[in-house]
Amino acid sequence: MDGLVLKGVSKSFGNTRAVEPTDLTFARGELTALLGPSGCGKTTLLRMIAGLEEPTRGTIRLGDTDITALPAHRRKFGMVFQSFALFPHYSVRENVAYSLTIGGMARARAHEKADALLETVQLGGFGDRRIGELSGGQRQRVAIARALAQEPQVFLLDEPMSALDAKLREEMQVELRLLQQRLGITTIVVTHDQREAMTMADKIVVMSNGRVEQIAQPQEVYHRPANAFVADFIGKANFFDGTYRDGAVQVGGVQLRASAQFRSGSPVRVAIRPERACIDDDPGDNRIAARVMFVRDLGPLREYHLQSDIGPIIVEYAAGETGPTLATGDETTVRLPPDALQIFPRAEAA
Amino acid sequence: MSLTDDMHAQGRSAAAAPDGSAMLRRVGLFVLSAIIFIFCVLPFGLVLAISFGRKIDGAGWVWDFTLENYQRFFVGVLWPDEVTFLYLQQLGYSFYFAIIASLVAVLTALPFTLLLTRLGRSAQALWLVFIMASLSLSEVFIVMGWDILLSNNSGLPKLFKETGLTQWLKDTGYFQTLRDWGLANPRNVKFKTSDFATILTMSYLVWPYAVILLYPALSRIDPALAEAARTMGAGRWTVTRTVTLPAIRLPLFGTTLLLFVFLLGTYVTVTVFAAPNKHTTAVAIYTNIRGANLNAPFGAAQAVMLLVAAGVCLYLGHLFNRRSEAR
Repeated sequence: MDGLVLKGVSKSFGNTRAVEPTDLTFARGELTALLGPSGCGKTTLLRMIAGLEEPTRGTIRLGDTDITALPAHRRKFGMVFQSFALFPHYSVRENVAYSLTIGGMARARAHEKADALLETVQLGGFGDRRIGELSGGQRQRVAIARALAQEPQVFLLDEPMSALDAKLREEMQVELRLLQQRLGITTIVVTHDQREAMTMADKIVVMSNGRVEQIAQPQEVYHRPANAFVADFIGKANFFDGTYRDGAVQVGGVQLRASAQFRSGSPVRVAIRPERACIDDDPGDNRIAARVMFVRDLGPLREYHLQSDIGPIIVEYAAGETGPTLATGDETTVRLPPDALQIFPRAEAA
Repeated sequence: MSLTDDMHAQGRSAAAAPDGSAMLRRVGLFVLSAIIFIFCVLPFGLVLAISFGRKIDGAGWVWDFTLENYQRFFVGVLWPDEVTFLYLQQLGYSFYFAIIASLVAVLTALPFTLLLTRLGRSAQALWLVFIMASLSLSEVFIVMGWDILLSNNSGLPKLFKETGLTQWLKDTGYFQTLRDWGLANPRNVKFKTSDFATILTMSYLVWPYAVILLYPALSRIDPALAEAARTMGAGRWTVTRTVTLPAIRLPLFGTTLLLFVFLLGTYVTVTVFAAPNKHTTAVAIYTNIRGANLNAPFGAAQAVMLLVAAGVCLYLGHLFNRRSEAR
């Protein structure tokens, strides 16, 4: 197989461990998102893959070749930087042709290929422009074209959308995903935006404090988070701390029936997505009295912020979905279906 | 007083206030202009006026309007019987030493400053303070230090001899090469007088300026540029050649030009370290005005020509700058 394999890769800066020993496999042609909050080690991991940082321990293999000690300029993995890192002293065409011209390709041929790549990223006719004359979105496309010019085996993107405004970011996520699928290139994207990761990735690697928390497909990460951190980081969730006893979780004075199995007396954290909680009169387990504290109508979504005996709860209804019509101050009952509850072990406070 | 009168009175005082501040501004402008004129324009005007004066043999000089001094600068004192380029040659040496020394200073300061920008903030601050402090040393003090260091009896030549390095150079044949370059006498290496010592000291003199002038531009370079180039297959030298140097082309050129113009006027270093036949226009100016010749008009003409030459260089630099920016 021609995939990229990381085995026990870690990185320390002095006494600080930026990346804990990590095993990862990036399958050929797959787009993987390294997702996590700032400082979780995702960029350091990407830089080790690019050859810009040397791993403290572990090996990186591309197919059968160990590339751990191979310098960045010999790996030639195309990389798009957060700042795009376009060369201001070169034109758009010269930027895209950079890897080709320094690699010895004749200037005319390199420029021809650069023009073709610019067409691919919908920037045909922009070749003679200076970098300073481009908008943020155009710069990003140039950075992508430049990274792809050397036909890399692995394509790396470090927070490529962070410099773009929200609307353009959404457009570029789709465009980038379509381009990656068309080229079939192994791609690794670093992002802290879970929406971006969900939109583009075949596989998401969720990281926290230098550790991999979960590796799974986007839907699985959302619906079956490996732990409370993932549940909290990916999407929205209501959390309640309690104690597991005989098929139920005791939260304050309320018992929540749950399908998970834990040792009796274990401290646990219960999570439920806002769209899985219900405000209705249906009979069933886990019905809790609540008061509406705030109603937020976002157009496609309507959120009810409730205060209950087990703490605050947010319930979400999509537009068009049958839901209650409540106002601030109304008394109601919220239902937390047992199969919608995700139970995670919780370390007790010392 | 009625309300209307009161408003009129306020209006009048409001109108008078701007008049007062305008007057104050005019006075300030006049004083500033007078200061600039007295301390900048007048001395230069005097030098220019004296350059057209005439030297009286065996005495001082008189005001006049003659182009003889400029004629002498270009074709020598014996013209039209004989043409000599002694003074142009001196200007040539001014350029020779200034160009090489400014290039040496910039080329050695560049890697140092690059490394400096990669240090931690506090280390950078410490280095910059140290370098700034070194600017307080006068040219005379620096030249004295190098004079001792390079002197034949107590400096490096003595160290060469004592450590056996001179003998090793003789044994390996390099000694003859040094002699060919004028850096050795039959017995030992010698650095005084030599172009080497002159350029070394001149470079040393302006090296802190080079670091301070290059630092802002180098510290602003996005490190991601070099990393991007590396991921595209560029080795260390290719990155320097194709990314770092082009990105700092203008500051690099500007710094070299500034140091060059500064070094055109170096006097003490050249007097101490350069061979007499390689003395520069700056030394000749001093000799004419304050030294043995007492030919102030000709010294002034030389000063004007040095200034013109520096001005031409700055203008060419400006043209280059504009062309680069236009690209």
